[in-house]
Amino acid sequence: MEIEAGTSKEQDATNADTNPFEIIEQKILALAQARPKGISDKDLIIEMPDLPSVQRAQIINKLLSQGHFDLFKQGGSLLYRLRDPSKAKIAKGADNEEKIVYSIIEEAGNKGIWIRDIRFKSNLMPTQLSKILKSLEIKKFIKAVKSVAASKKKVYMLYNLEPDTSVTGGAWYQDQDFEAEFVDVLNQQCYRFLEKKREQMNSCRGGPIMARNVTFASSKEVWKFISDLGISKVKLSVEDLEMILNTLVYDGKVERTLSGDGSILYRAIEPLLDSPGLIKSTCGVCPVRKHCCDIGDVTPTKCQYITEWLE
Amino acid sequence: MSVMCRKLCSSILFEHFGQIVQCVAEDLFKHGARSLELIRYATDLPVTKVKEALCVLIKHGFVRYSRVERGLEFSLIYENVLLILRYPKYMFFIKTMCGDESEMILEEVLMNGYITASEVITKTYKKIEQSPSGRQPSVPVLKEKFELLVKNQFLTRSLCTDTVGGRTNEKPDFTLPNLNLTAIIKKIEGDNNSDPGDSKIYWKVNFDRLIQDLRDQIIVSAIRRRLDENAGELMRQLLFLMYLRTASWAHTSNPIPLTEIKEAVKKTSYPLLIHHLDQYLHLIEEDSSQFLKRVGDSGGGQFSVNMKEAFEQLAWATLENIVMERFGSKAARIFRLVRDKKYIEQEQIQQLAMIPAKEAKHLTYTLLQENYIQMQEMKKSGVSAAPIKTFFLFHIDLNVVVYMEVEHCYHALYNIMQRREYEVNSNKRMIDKQLRMQTLTTNLKEHGATEEQLAEIADLMTPSEKQQLEKVQNTIKKLGITELQIDDTLFLLTMYLRYH
Repeated sequence: MEIEAGTSKEQDATNADTNPFEIIEQKILALAQARPKGISDKDLIIEMPDLPSVQRAQIINKLLSQGHFDLFKQGGSLLYRLRDPSKAKIAKGADNEEKIVYSIIEEAGNKGIWIRDIRFKSNLMPTQLSKILKSLEIKKFIKAVKSVAASKKKVYMLYNLEPDTSVTGGAWYQDQDFEAEFVDVLNQQCYRFLEKKREQMNSCRGGPIMARNVTFASSKEVWKFISDLGISKVKLSVEDLEMILNTLVYDGKVERTLSGDGSILYRAIEPLLDSPGLIKSTCGVCPVRKHCCDIGDVTPTKCQYITEWLE
Repeated sequence: MSVMCRKLCSSILFEHFGQIVQCVAEDLFKHGARSLELIRYATDLPVTKVKEALCVLIKHGFVRYSRVERGLEFSLIYENVLLILRYPKYMFFIKTMCGDESEMILEEVLMNGYITASEVITKTYKKIEQSPSGRQPSVPVLKEKFELLVKNQFLTRSLCTDTVGGRTNEKPDFTLPNLNLTAIIKKIEGDNNSDPGDSKIYWKVNFDRLIQDLRDQIIVSAIRRRLDENAGELMRQLLFLMYLRTASWAHTSNPIPLTEIKEAVKKTSYPLLIHHLDQYLHLIEEDSSQFLKRVGDSGGGQFSVNMKEAFEQLAWATLENIVMERFGSKAARIFRLVRDKKYIEQEQIQQLAMIPAKEAKHLTYTLLQENYIQMQEMKKSGVSAAPIKTFFLFHIDLNVVVYMEVEHCYHALYNIMQRREYEVNSNKRMIDKQLRMQTLTTNLKEHGATEEQLAEIADLMTPSEKQQLEKVQNTIKKLGITELQIDDTLFLLTMYLRYH
């Protein structure tokens, strides 16, 4: 309706035929589609040399107001870039505030954006903003996702986007909760697998280097073992499992090396030392050592911990 | 030197030398180097007692004296006092290396500080004679054993002289005097006029050498644990070869050519090692512990033992173990993670360690509070002090943590010693009674007492007393063992500090 009204007005002003006008419009749109980076006035002059500049400006203005184009400034000249259709959709039946909020949320990508940040960027009142967000949500343009970083923090993103792993936490989160037990079980199973590999070493007769090489397992092998076990409800990727294997490295139970073809190899190792003598004594693990003195409540002669340990 | 270290040294000296020596040493601790007159004044002891105490301390190498403008000044070497804790270990080491007689000789030298060869042989002879094992001592065997100890550099000539100015900075001297064996035998039989031919040639224990041997044991056993028996033996051979070409406490050994390693390994009785020597070398070299480095290719390959790196790795392993035992395996994971990443943020810690945020924070801050990890604040330059613009990075300062743990060891040792003393004192009556009974029984046995008489004496102690006594003895034994174990840790950490 609007478009028709617009054209009819313009028709009156320029006294030009309707059909060529619309053809030019289609032409410009096609041109913009062919150049996703955007078109400038110069391009239009080159492509359509017989189009008067006044008319060209009118058509451009019309397309801009309809939301077909975004306007950019680059190196002093203006650049028109075609908007993608999803945005064109919101343009219909939405007011300016909604458009602004939508574009802010769109900018945030799949990481999402917090309501406070939207408020700062858009300079809208909180009540008004929440109204807009609600209406956008109902229209299914955007959605709210709970972030794992802070349980009460909601972030908004476009409806059709898959949330980033930093928001959902990846495979290790279920409903914003870190599944510590799941991780622990996987950690143990991976270690069991590598331990078994290590046991094979004793039956290897090809010299010490051969024996050591037997103990290596690539992350893929471990991944296959875990997948076959079927302990995981979610599908784990090799990268996910490498994360688990790395925790074993930090536990000091496993060693990591790079193989020649770039894949990462893991093997179970023995620690260099037995547990040191210091912590075999009660004083080594004493929780009240700071208060321990010759006089006072905590003294070596009447220490409860030592007494219990001696019993 | 810390308060804890002072207390520990003080109680060690009290246990072994008594109160007066402790008193004098304590004064030297407090005030550093000072003269006899000042010590006498501060301790309020008679001058002869102070002199005696200083004499004992000097004899055992705990006190150093130097000439200043007015008379002499005495200063304490506390590291040597702490060595007393390790005496049993040295004796055990000598026992396994050189046999029982050598151990006795060493014990005698340790007890006397410094001593002449003839005297130590005489004393050991008498001791073996009196021991209940019933072995017959012989002077030539003892002399041989003594020479063995000197040859292995476990004993060295004491350069202490009677005159103050006579101290020279000579290299350790291991030349043996000509001992007159017949004279020694005569002396044992009671003839005091015979001259064994070594008067004024004193011997003392070469602690430096013993410390190096204990150090090597740690390295060898670490490799054995990491790889296997054969690799451990190879490491031992490498350390022998290191002695031949490198100064005692060098950080890395001079390059050892493969041919020599081959020669050395051939003499061992490890067929697998001889067969797979190249592979084992490769394994030790490739291991993440970095004890061995390949430094060149000439002569089939040149290898260098890296002591400094080795003890860094061992110190890390020790600390990781301590953190694990004190705060649990999750904390140890964080500790290793911080070590691995050098500088790391809290966010990353919980992500990489895969520990729930709350627990990860708790553990990280516990470690921070206990000083196992350190925090570094990073501010973005040119921005006002808004909290968001500041990063908090966690890292580990190994030296700080090691010093802290050394202190911890001192504290634990002191506590255990105190407890032991307390247990002994509170059961003194009973322990004394048992001693009396023992001497009584042996005396009666010698005089041919009847079974009945012996049983009568045994009945002097009631069953409950016997039970109690057994308990106390077990307690004391357990505390003694713990002391040695703690000292193991202390030794390793001090070795680290020595290299870094």
